[in-house]
Amino acid sequence: MVANLQTREVPSQADFHAAISDRSDRWFAACLKITRNRDMAEDAVQDALLKAWNKRHQFDNTARLDTWIHRIAINAALQLLRKNRPAAFEPLETDIEDDGETPESVRAGQELGKTLSAAMTHLSEFERICFVLKHLEQWRLKEIAAEVGSDVGAVKQGIFRAVRKLRVRMGHLQGELK
Amino acid sequence: MNDDTLILYYYNDGLSEDERRHVEAAIHSDAAVAARYDGLCRQLNGLADVDTPPVPAHTVQRWHDAIDREARLERGHVQQPRQRAFSGFSFAWGAAIAAVLVIGISLTMTGPDPVVEMPATTTSAFTRGVQVHFRDTYGQLASMPIEASADRTQLVLQIIEQNRLFERAAEQSDSDDLARVLRAFEPILVRLAAEDITPQEAAALRAQLTFELNVMLTKLSRDSSNETGTATTGIKT
Repeated sequence: MVANLQTREVPSQADFHAAISDRSDRWFAACLKITRNRDMAEDAVQDALLKAWNKRHQFDNTARLDTWIHRIAINAALQLLRKNRPAAFEPLETDIEDDGETPESVRAGQELGKTLSAAMTHLSEFERICFVLKHLEQWRLKEIAAEVGSDVGAVKQGIFRAVRKLRVRMGHLQGELK
Repeated sequence: MNDDTLILYYYNDGLSEDERRHVEAAIHSDAAVAARYDGLCRQLNGLADVDTPPVPAHTVQRWHDAIDREARLERGHVQQPRQRAFSGFSFAWGAAIAAVLVIGISLTMTGPDPVVEMPATTTSAFTRGVQVHFRDTYGQLASMPIEASADRTQLVLQIIEQNRLFERAAEQSDSDDLARVLRAFEPILVRLAAEDITPQEAAALRAQLTFELNVMLTKLSRDSSNETGTATTGIKT
């Protein structure tokens, strides 16, 4: 269904339904990694779908509909996060760990999986956003900087710190598993 | 050669061509750097996106319904004769628009203080608007035909439009809980707008909605009677 879009002008209602059935779990997972909040992730996907539907005439049909919606969903998740937790977009100057494991973040961690999500709970919000967008979503550094309203240098530092912490944490977790 | 440079090399981003060539040469000529890069690659590759949480079926259904609802609304707009364009315009619409305008103006005119002391009249205007919307909806549902018909569909689509307007107004005023309640009404309304449901299902949906509306009306009147002087909001300028 999605592949057929290349010969069509505008994605149809059926195309949207097919994309939801095939890919909404991935959109949701990506949004959950950004927000660490299930309600916000669900809202982000719904916002993205409505936005995509209303702008479907602008859809470049050489791309994939589900990929397009995925990108819109990430942006929606970032928007919601910015609205609800603006501090998440402020890079920290110092290498401080965010050990604030709230019941919500623990639940989100359980929902995200095991080791990586557990390790990610020790990142600051800024580090997590930078890492998720770079490592899991493959955004360019410049795109991340533009989205989080920071500069490339700060984003790089956020990623370096995130990778450093994750390597340590994942090492511990793997050690515990042995 | 530090690990940060190797990380950028791994991501193929953030290094100039010269810097990339320099790293490449170091990896080929220096066994220690090669080993470090190899370890880094293994660890970063290990940070893969393995587990994806299942999304509840009802949530996925809500997303499907959202698209159906938008498509219906779009068709409704196309099919509506011009003279009916204002038929759904009620006090509720006016109150919602007024509330959004008042909030917008208060945000524009307030100084740099991050927390706005919003006059009780602003929150009350919005709350009253929502109460009227709920009461209107309650009344419209009570007189709505249970049998499937174009009138029933049209009526429910109008309610959905009003509901969405208030949902946006609630989001604008940072009333997240209220926005969530309004959003939760949508899938039920969308189902009620469908032409393929039985009168029994329509009656059950109507009963569910009127019950929820009653609950919300009670809660809102209790909240507004507790309101005093000014209400502090978390709205940031």
